[in-house]
Amino acid sequence: MKKPRPIRREISIAAPPEVVFAFFTDPAKFILWLGRVAELDARPGGVFRVNINGRDVVRGTFLEVVPPRRVVFTWGWEGEESVVPPGSTRVEVTLAPEGAGGTRLRLTHTGLPEPSRGGHDEGWVHYLARLGVAAPGGDPGPDPLGTLETKHGWKSGAS
Amino acid sequence: MMTALRALAEPRRLEILRLLKKGEMSAGDIAARFRVTRPAISQHLTVLRGAGLIAEKRDGTRRLYRIRPAGLDGLREFLEDFWDRGLSRLKRASETAAPSGRRR
Repeated sequence: MKKPRPIRREISIAAPPEVVFAFFTDPAKFILWLGRVAELDARPGGVFRVNINGRDVVRGTFLEVVPPRRVVFTWGWEGEESVVPPGSTRVEVTLAPEGAGGTRLRLTHTGLPEPSRGGHDEGWVHYLARLGVAAPGGDPGPDPLGTLETKHGWKSGAS
Repeated sequence: MMTALRALAEPRRLEILRLLKKGEMSAGDIAARFRVTRPAISQHLTVLRGAGLIAEKRDGTRRLYRIRPAGLDGLREFLEDFWDRGLSRLKRASETAAPSGRRR
């Protein structure tokens, strides 16, 4: 099979790297932008586990933790044997100072099979935008993807 | 029936049903067919399940989905009723029109 292209996304954040870095290592800060519950043991070999919506759970392992400029972890979906199982892909985040007190964040997600690339890319665009609001102290609001209910406001229970 | 109609009134949910017509699939396999995030697919699966159009089964930690044909019964009856009425109107119209041969 053709080697899948990595996802590459960049964003400028109005907060210094030290501040942004904590949003990848501190569970209380992590869930401000991604997930409902985060279990983060931010050291090489430590667990990276994020429950996004009460159903979809990302699980991986921290590979590199270099404050305040680099964090690398593996990524996959708990309970998945094919497609994107835990540990099967890798997310690399680098933070560089930018301007006066800002950060340029670069994210690279490698190892995703081609069919899963598009959905993950869409996810990173969505979640990095939330991080861009949360890291400088803003409120990105409730995550529309953080619930199993749809935006139409009707519960999906059978009637 | 309204729940089924609302569940069907979304292109991706229709596509999920088409996929499941071919057989049982895991959430991951379904998600890999769309350029949509995994949580968004879970929302669609929740809606389809709530409408009784699909059924979920746990296999260890995996979640498998299959179609629930009975979920479409209400809608099918509704449409078939329309079809039957339409046919009887056509029958009546042709029966009254044919013998006299008059034009309107």
